[in-house]
Amino acid sequence: MSMKLLVLVVKNIRRNLLRSVLTGLGTMVLVVVVILVWSILWYLDEQTKEKTTNMKAIVTERWQMPSRMPLSYAPELRAGAARRPGDIRPQDSMTWQFYVGSTEPGRLRRETALFIVATQPEKVLTMFDELDTLPPDSPDRRPLEKAIQAMKTNRQALIVGRERLEAINKRVGERVKVYGMSFKGIDLEFDIVGTFPEGRWNNLSVMDWEYLNAAVDAYNRRPGVRPHPMTERSLSIVWLKVPDMRSFTAVANQIASSPSFTNPQVKTETLASGTAAFLEAFRDLIWGMRYFLMPAAVVTVCLVIANAISLSVRERRKEFAVLKVLGFHPVHILSLVLGEALLLGVVSGLASAVGVYVVINHVFGGLKFPIGFFSTFYIPAQAMGWGLAVGAATALIGSLVPAWIACRVRVAEIFARVG
Amino acid sequence: MTEVFLHNLGWITGVLVLLTAGLLLGARIPLRYNIRNLRVRWIPTALTALAFTAVIALLTVMLAFVSGMVRLTQMTGHPGNVLILDESANDEAFSNIPASDVGDLVNLPGLFRQGGRPWVSMETYLVVNQLLPHARLGRPQRRFLQMRGVEDVQMAAQVHDLRLHPGGSWFSSAGVREILGPKGQKITAIEAVLGEGIAREMAQDRSPEELAQAKSPDTLLPGDIFFLGDRVWYVCGLLQSTGTTFDSEVWAKRSLVASIFGKNTYTTVVVRTPDAQKARQLCEFVNTQYKKAAIRARPEKEYFSSLQETNRQLLVAISFVTVVLAVGGVFGVMNTMFAAVGQRTADIGVLRILGFSRWQILGSFLLESLLIALVGGLLGCAVGSLSHGWSATSIVSSGQGAGKFVVLRLVVDAGTLAAGMTLALAMGALGGLLPAWRATRLRPLEALG
Repeated sequence: MSMKLLVLVVKNIRRNLLRSVLTGLGTMVLVVVVILVWSILWYLDEQTKEKTTNMKAIVTERWQMPSRMPLSYAPELRAGAARRPGDIRPQDSMTWQFYVGSTEPGRLRRETALFIVATQPEKVLTMFDELDTLPPDSPDRRPLEKAIQAMKTNRQALIVGRERLEAINKRVGERVKVYGMSFKGIDLEFDIVGTFPEGRWNNLSVMDWEYLNAAVDAYNRRPGVRPHPMTERSLSIVWLKVPDMRSFTAVANQIASSPSFTNPQVKTETLASGTAAFLEAFRDLIWGMRYFLMPAAVVTVCLVIANAISLSVRERRKEFAVLKVLGFHPVHILSLVLGEALLLGVVSGLASAVGVYVVINHVFGGLKFPIGFFSTFYIPAQAMGWGLAVGAATALIGSLVPAWIACRVRVAEIFARVG
Repeated sequence: MTEVFLHNLGWITGVLVLLTAGLLLGARIPLRYNIRNLRVRWIPTALTALAFTAVIALLTVMLAFVSGMVRLTQMTGHPGNVLILDESANDEAFSNIPASDVGDLVNLPGLFRQGGRPWVSMETYLVVNQLLPHARLGRPQRRFLQMRGVEDVQMAAQVHDLRLHPGGSWFSSAGVREILGPKGQKITAIEAVLGEGIAREMAQDRSPEELAQAKSPDTLLPGDIFFLGDRVWYVCGLLQSTGTTFDSEVWAKRSLVASIFGKNTYTTVVVRTPDAQKARQLCEFVNTQYKKAAIRARPEKEYFSSLQETNRQLLVAISFVTVVLAVGGVFGVMNTMFAAVGQRTADIGVLRILGFSRWQILGSFLLESLLIALVGGLLGCAVGSLSHGWSATSIVSSGQGAGKFVVLRLVVDAGTLAAGMTLALAMGALGGLLPAWRATRLRPLEALG
């Protein structure tokens, strides 16, 4: 019986192909919205979810943003302020100093701006989020390793994110002069030695911290010039890698109790916690996406499916009456109608998910939607499951009432009208 | 593309309204016939209209959010005000003007004066972390607060055109006052004036003890206290809402802010000139002839208008989502109208035999589709309009770093409603066109057969 029903379901879908195609297309485009929104929310949730192992901590100025600490804080902070035997030391660390500049003097425009992180070059592949998990055989890893090698031999080397590189109209191998905005009066020349893999770091650049600090020293050595205002406040973030939450808590306490960090005071938090605080400004936008946009898209899919199925049921009342005469039970008719909707929903949802995964990730290079420091989002592989589930769920919800109406068809009434 | 659409919104709306009106007035097939058909097939009609309602309500709320942000940035600033930052800073948060450079700015030419005193406000703007040990479950343990330290609060209020709610006061010249602590001991609290929006935000993460003593559970009010930077702060006044970014700021004495948060330089000097033209002249003078300090001047309104990058990005995202949802809606209405054509094949044959032309048949079915869209669109606009006045948090930014955290009100204005109705009618027209065209292709005798 179930095989017979399945054949009937497929035949019925093919019978009014136009309606099936329109319903399928309607479901597909609406599932696209759900998947896109879900992908963004899923990624943000992942970023703000506390890890239990292999954690990253960030140390920043306690009260002010942007954080500006003296560079002299760096060695002790990188050691997690471990002073006594038995104190926990981080597994890895790096410092970030921000050098914001423009490729044209005196003007900072979108087409000329460079946001450069001055750090230890070798840390790009061990501490940078998502780059530290690049598999050894990843096609993105090799060129990045080459660029980092170039940074080790050439202090003026610069790695520039893909979007930024395009925006400033430069290519790898070219030279660029950057006029300092955050470090006023300190202009630097760079050799662009590479770029980051497509994604998270598309708009960031990385330079060797020694180059920046040597330039600040050189500025301060000029006769008759006051020390550069950024001299004592150039350190923005210290990143620490710790194995677990217990180590994090210990390191955070070591830093909090250290007498070295009083002016300015510093704070230590997990990366997830820092990210959550930053995303707080977008709280209502994210709430709207989660509780307004997604439900509205799901409701619209349900309505489109409900409409198509109710039209179909209305046109096939005689057919259902005949099926009943032939011995079909109401539950069979219910299954028939639900099956049609379910098959349509599942196929459309899955097709939509596969389509959006391929198009967004491999054709568009990610979904560009800047929220805080996240600018590009990718459709995760789990989206296949979401598409299938959303398609199936909306099809079931949308077809429940029409299917119920179909199985309640009264044979006598229908044939009385025919007569 | 979004901007092109919005720029031509009037035209597009006009064309669609004219199309609907033309079909209504020019139709020879009575409108009653269409309405009766819609009533007879009320389930698909209602489902299709509801799908329209969902899409248009969503669009209305999303556009209301952007309108709120646009209004916020456009309303902030006085036309006669000039904002002076250090020459390399695009944003107040990155500006650093040494104290030695600001003193001479009161002597700039063309300043508005009252009683011989120029209207100049010297300020330090900074973003600070407020720790939230009592944050509600799932909320971060800290928030960013926008703090504006001002030298002379009354002058700053005059320059920014801000007033206090009755019952409040500006902070004293010392900027501190003694209050009784929780155990009855005397403590020195820093006086602060809060914007209305941030006062509501800050009220959300108080401890049960603080709430028990609070004057209102929904907002901080004069007399309330809060904790920031290891200090106790006393709310002495609440700024009247002006729908500007100042609604999201905390104001306090500059010297205290500088010492607590370690920012000793000024970030901003705001000067008032008699009018917008004088403001532009002053900017020209400062940017080309003033050599005593490395500063840059721009009209205050221009500065705040430049913080539109987030709005633009949101608008693009909203447009994309709306178009995708609308396409889904179009497929829905197509289904309904194809079914209508299929069920009324005989009707179409009779109409043709009675002498109605193919165009009149097309118009009749198109009108039906537009009627569904009209009802769904109106309902969607009505539902979406409920969001008018809702409070939301966001960021306005120029897209080159920094930005301002703002508490804004959603605004459903005529433009938002026009966009909603335009989209609804466009969906109706697109969804109805193919089925209506198919209806015109039916041959009368075959249709009757």
